[in-house]
Amino acid sequence: MNSSGSKNKFLTIAYLSPTAVILLVFMVIPILYTLYLSFFDWNLISPTKNFVGLENYTSIFTDSVNRKVLLNTIVYILLLLILNFIIPYFISLIVKFFINKMKNSYKIIFFIPSLFSLVVGAMLFSWIMNPISGPVAFLMRHFGVALPNWTNSSAMAIVMLCLITNWKVFGYNFVLLLTGLGSIPQNIIDATKIDSIPRWKMVRDIVLPLNKSIAFYVLILTIVQGLQYVFTPISVITQGGPYYGSSNIFYHTYLNAFVLYKTGNASALAVITFLVFLILLYLEMKFVEGRMGNCE
Amino acid sequence: MNKFREGGWHILLLLICLVLLLPVVFMISNSFKTLQDSYHSMLQIIPLHPTFSNYTTLGRQIDLLRLIWNTFFMAAIVTLGKLITGLFAAYAFKYFSFKGKKWIYLIFVSTIFVPFTVIMIPNYLVISKINLLNTAPGVALPQMCDATGIMLFLKAMDKIPKSLIESLKIDGISSHMILKDIIIPILRPSIISIGAIFFINSWNEYVWPTLILKDKSSFTLPLALQNYISSEGGTNFPLAMALSTIMIIVPLFIYLIFQRYILNSISNSGLK
Repeated sequence: MNSSGSKNKFLTIAYLSPTAVILLVFMVIPILYTLYLSFFDWNLISPTKNFVGLENYTSIFTDSVNRKVLLNTIVYILLLLILNFIIPYFISLIVKFFINKMKNSYKIIFFIPSLFSLVVGAMLFSWIMNPISGPVAFLMRHFGVALPNWTNSSAMAIVMLCLITNWKVFGYNFVLLLTGLGSIPQNIIDATKIDSIPRWKMVRDIVLPLNKSIAFYVLILTIVQGLQYVFTPISVITQGGPYYGSSNIFYHTYLNAFVLYKTGNASALAVITFLVFLILLYLEMKFVEGRMGNCE
Repeated sequence: MNKFREGGWHILLLLICLVLLLPVVFMISNSFKTLQDSYHSMLQIIPLHPTFSNYTTLGRQIDLLRLIWNTFFMAAIVTLGKLITGLFAAYAFKYFSFKGKKWIYLIFVSTIFVPFTVIMIPNYLVISKINLLNTAPGVALPQMCDATGIMLFLKAMDKIPKSLIESLKIDGISSHMILKDIIIPILRPSIISIGAIFFINSWNEYVWPTLILKDKSSFTLPLALQNYISSEGGTNFPLAMALSTIMIIVPLFIYLIFQRYILNSISNSGLK
């Protein structure tokens, strides 16, 4: 018995260690090292790092460019929540409860853009919305209206960049939310039909509360993943411009680290991002109880 | 009345289908047009003077086979790495009992959504220190750091009766044998669909290649495409669209074959 117990222990370690080693080397140690770097002034190359204490952090909140980027990040979050969470949620409710035919076809078709690279998405939108040679500008010219050059306006650029990620993740989030709706017990829904409760009322009073947990999961996903997804079109189309107007905290971290070589500033921004991530993770685990524990 | 309303919803849903798919349709169609036609008849789905010239131009300007191979090789390493590590770890979580299991699982799974900016600087330094910049393993390693597979495999293992595995264990059959002869054959559809998702994601990956691959001969398709998009305008769109069309064939083909399994696995990733 004892020997099989120690053999089991050995096997457990052997089976878990490939994942554990990769996570340790490429995730846990990097997180700690980023924290360490955030207290130094460094340029990624020089052999010496200067300890500067909390200076990198204070500069985040005093520097006007950093403040602009943080503000943009909040605008991005709000827009992404509307485009990538509320709209797919609304559509998934319609497909689940308000139509009978073609449910599966919509699922299959909506998912298709999720298969494609965001670089393809960025290219397509820069064509569609091209103020000179794009189809939207072409159609608008017929009505005598000119499409403004949206890369010159930070507000329009942010909207366009969000739309690109929306094109990609709409179907993915739709599938997740639709699955969540599918796990609501059918007898509850049938009961409301017998009592002839209007369907929108059934959705509001029964479906939305029951589907809270998966909806919250997609909401967190929308924020954390959405901001990372938007990195690609920013990098391909605007590079954060005009004058940091379409940059967000992710792109600004990258810019500081690999373009401006301000490793300390980049690390401090990354640590702030990580703290926000931890808060969201905590909320998710509290809200979505049980999701994390399916190994039992 | 109800029929009428359902029709209204279908119009909305079909419009969404159009918005999502038309850009791709126009992309493919314009990739077969000359630069002039792509401007003067941009909304013409069937090209007036169909031409392969964009594809042949691409073939002259960049080493397409090399790009496809680089992308494939990277995605294959990531996919295999994630499948193997994920299967073993999921097996341990499902069928072994050990101290702190719940906590270890929690830590593993929490890493899934850690933003890449938090780890990109140290990972870049490590990859450059071990001389893997501009190589497929160098760009694959940070991508393997993803515990999604564990979550998806655990979910898939739910459909294998636990009593079956327990009785095999009592009969003295080793875990390796159970994994090789029972679990993997039963989970084959899940392994294929999870592998397909991993492969497609890595095929499209942009962030790590941008950081790790600086040498043009090591580029993957998304990086090559980026070079055809000019932020100052003046992009040759038919050319960029031809390269994009080449890029989307692989994921589209995988989806056509495994569509049902892929959608199932995606659904599982969000379920508790």
